[in-house]
Amino acid sequence: MRRTKEHAVEIFFVFSAYFSALLTVVIFGFMLALGLPLLAEGRIFSIMTQPWAPHLGQFGIQPMIVGTLAISLLSMLFAFPLSLGCAILISVVSRGTVSWLLRKMVEMMTGIPTVIYGFVGIFLLVPLVREFFAAGSGMCVLSAALMLTLLVSPTMILFFCESFARVPDSYGKAVLAVGGTEIQKFFHVTLPNSWPGVVIGFTLALGRALGDTLIALMIAGNAVQTPNSLLDSARTLTSHIALVFAADYESLEFKAIFACGIFLYLFTTILVMAVRLLGVGRERWAR
Amino acid sequence: MKTRVTAVFALVALSLFFCSGAFAAALDAFKGEKGEIRIAGGTAHIPVMKEAAARIMGLNPDIQISIAGGGSGVGVKQVGEGLVDIGNTGRTPTEDEVKQYSLQMFKWAIDGVAIVVNPANKIRSLSQDQAAAIFAGKITNWKEVGGDDKQINLYTRDEASGTREVFWEKALKKGDIAATANVIVSNGAMKGAVSQDPYGIGYVSVGHIDETVAPVAFNGIEPSMENVKEGKYPVARGLFSNTKGEPAGLVKKFIDYLFTEEGQQIVVEKGFISVQ
Amino acid sequence: MGEVRRLQEAGVLVFSWLCGVLLLGAVIAVIGYLFVHGWRSISLSLIFGATPPLDALLMKRHVFNGLFPAVVGTLSLIVLSVCWAIPIGMASGIYLAEYAGAGTKAFLNLFFDILAGLPSIVVGLFGFSAAIFLNRLFPGSIHPCLLISSIALAFLVLPYIIRTTQMALEGLPLSARLTALSLGASKLQNITHVLLPQSLSGIVSGVILAIGRCAEDTAVIMLTGVVASAGVPRSLFSHYEALPFYIYYISSQYTDREELATGYGAAIILLCICMVLFLTAFVIKRQVSYHALYRA
Repeated sequence: MRRTKEHAVEIFFVFSAYFSALLTVVIFGFMLALGLPLLAEGRIFSIMTQPWAPHLGQFGIQPMIVGTLAISLLSMLFAFPLSLGCAILISVVSRGTVSWLLRKMVEMMTGIPTVIYGFVGIFLLVPLVREFFAAGSGMCVLSAALMLTLLVSPTMILFFCESFARVPDSYGKAVLAVGGTEIQKFFHVTLPNSWPGVVIGFTLALGRALGDTLIALMIAGNAVQTPNSLLDSARTLTSHIALVFAADYESLEFKAIFACGIFLYLFTTILVMAVRLLGVGRERWAR
Repeated sequence: MKTRVTAVFALVALSLFFCSGAFAAALDAFKGEKGEIRIAGGTAHIPVMKEAAARIMGLNPDIQISIAGGGSGVGVKQVGEGLVDIGNTGRTPTEDEVKQYSLQMFKWAIDGVAIVVNPANKIRSLSQDQAAAIFAGKITNWKEVGGDDKQINLYTRDEASGTREVFWEKALKKGDIAATANVIVSNGAMKGAVSQDPYGIGYVSVGHIDETVAPVAFNGIEPSMENVKEGKYPVARGLFSNTKGEPAGLVKKFIDYLFTEEGQQIVVEKGFISVQ
Repeated sequence: MGEVRRLQEAGVLVFSWLCGVLLLGAVIAVIGYLFVHGWRSISLSLIFGATPPLDALLMKRHVFNGLFPAVVGTLSLIVLSVCWAIPIGMASGIYLAEYAGAGTKAFLNLFFDILAGLPSIVVGLFGFSAAIFLNRLFPGSIHPCLLISSIALAFLVLPYIIRTTQMALEGLPLSARLTALSLGASKLQNITHVLLPQSLSGIVSGVILAIGRCAEDTAVIMLTGVVASAGVPRSLFSHYEALPFYIYYISSQYTDREELATGYGAAIILLCICMVLFLTAFVIKRQVSYHALYRA
């Protein structure tokens, strides 16, 4: 009796694990099944290259793909050096309480809700950008990228710090022994030995930037154009889903948002694969 | 003198009594009812819906009324698919929509769609040609229409919007709307966006206009309620609530309530024109 | 040569401090802005409007012009989502840590990593389309609502709970594993009576971070049933309000200064909820940083 009961519980464990894994596949299956009619009609190319103009029968998501890449890559361009600098500050330059305090503040930042960045973005950042550049409404690629920078930096900083800390101390002893400074030790020993961690941190943060909805939705302006400048209004794939999701369920508009879903799914999956391929991935993200 | 004051008091008291009596009667229909009404769609409707819901739910806590936006297109689809009970539209549902979903339409207010700018902007009047050129992105600087030397920031609505459809058809004569325009998801948000942007231009339900935005005369006609009412202002439309098939039960009572004296008074208070 | 090196070092020093000041300055600006503009609106009437708090809590009267429905909505979401996610998530974590072989583990973890990396709007879109699909199958029974949102959110936080459970169990020392087994306990008894209690702090801190995610996520719920105005949800099949969506909604649709002030108030409340959750997780288990990394 006890055996069968134990067995039942163990079956539940197995079931749960495979159920959760299957969920990942089912989500993709849904996107594919609902978006496929559009992709299968040989329209995949037009979807990727056309603009979005439903009244003209064009359901391309090219502006949104460009918008997503522009906003997330620009935010990474800001966030990467910023995070590297902060990570150096925390792990190399500062000591003791200062380092501890900085680290705790960065950890706290990971808990700030996205919608708060969007909210403050609307009332603080957008007017500043509008007045400073005197071009456009301030709702633009730049504003969204700046706020996203705040969102993704903590992830990168903490990851960088962890991978610096992983480099065995003995490696650096030699540098210090011949009279090198901590900073020299960092550049000659720590950084070269932790670059996979740095790349993984970057990749994870990029995934976060690509997948964020609220900041772009609230402050990027959502225009359906391919942005030509940093001050142009733009729409991301995520915002596009949020803006169009309730259209006619039979329409091509509705199917096109599943194409957005498929793209986002593939983008983030590729990034996750990249992290795992960088080998060490598993232990690294885990601890 | 004293008797006159007393008489006035009596009159006021009496009229208050009758008013409250009439109001209570309109809400009486909801006494003892229980259940949920789900409303989605047109965003111009939201202030009226909210007020009606507040009064009904205030009287009877067993009733829950949920109100979502999304735009007219969303309203039609969601009510048609049975996801909500009432789908609001700021345009007349198309014949196809009515047929496909056997929609019942209830037009409970008349509204207009007006061009608005920030109050800091001097421009208060635009011709049809100017408006069409601005929204098509052909005129890009305010000085070209007599304003400051500043870039024009366009704001438009999403494709599900009835307000966009009416504006596009009646004001822009189906002309292009530039892809550079920022896309806003509701009437309320449009007002907010234009009130924040000194160089912005957008279009909004006339009922939503307040001191935070400046209405712009269209072809010399002010988008005032009077002009909409008298049919002088061309960009006018009805506000509809639609149900799938004949409404029944609580949903019917809600729609009936919109057409009572009290319901229509809410319509007027929120800046729209009563249908009665 | 030495001169150049010294300049380089000074450069690094200046750069890193500049980055630190820039980042913290920006965050302090964001939070400070919120508090400076919003602290005045923090009061009991922010939550309850004009309704007496007791009546609102006893559900005798609806609250208008207050955050009460949004707060209740967010709390219901949290409770429901965590209820769905904990059994499945912990069971999966236990399976990974205690039963699965290395190959199976790597295989399953790939899926959990992908699930963890999915943008929340994609999960929301899945929830929405699943609801439409079910509505087609069983007309009139299912539509976007509290239940659908909470299930979708549970999917979103599932990887957190799986991962923290697995990590906490795997982190236990060998001695802790063997004692009970050597005394004749079965494998399952060992897990439930010895291993799980010992790894509880790790699991709980993971659950708390999952709660934080449920509290702040907006993208999932905006596709699956949250609305601008609904009152307190009466059932699992009701539309509902939630704090993060309220903040998003008010940010663009406020009609007057007062309404905007409630938006600031809601933002402060949400921020405080998330910070408190974060601190709790931190106190329970010092090593929060890896959880922090684990959110996409």
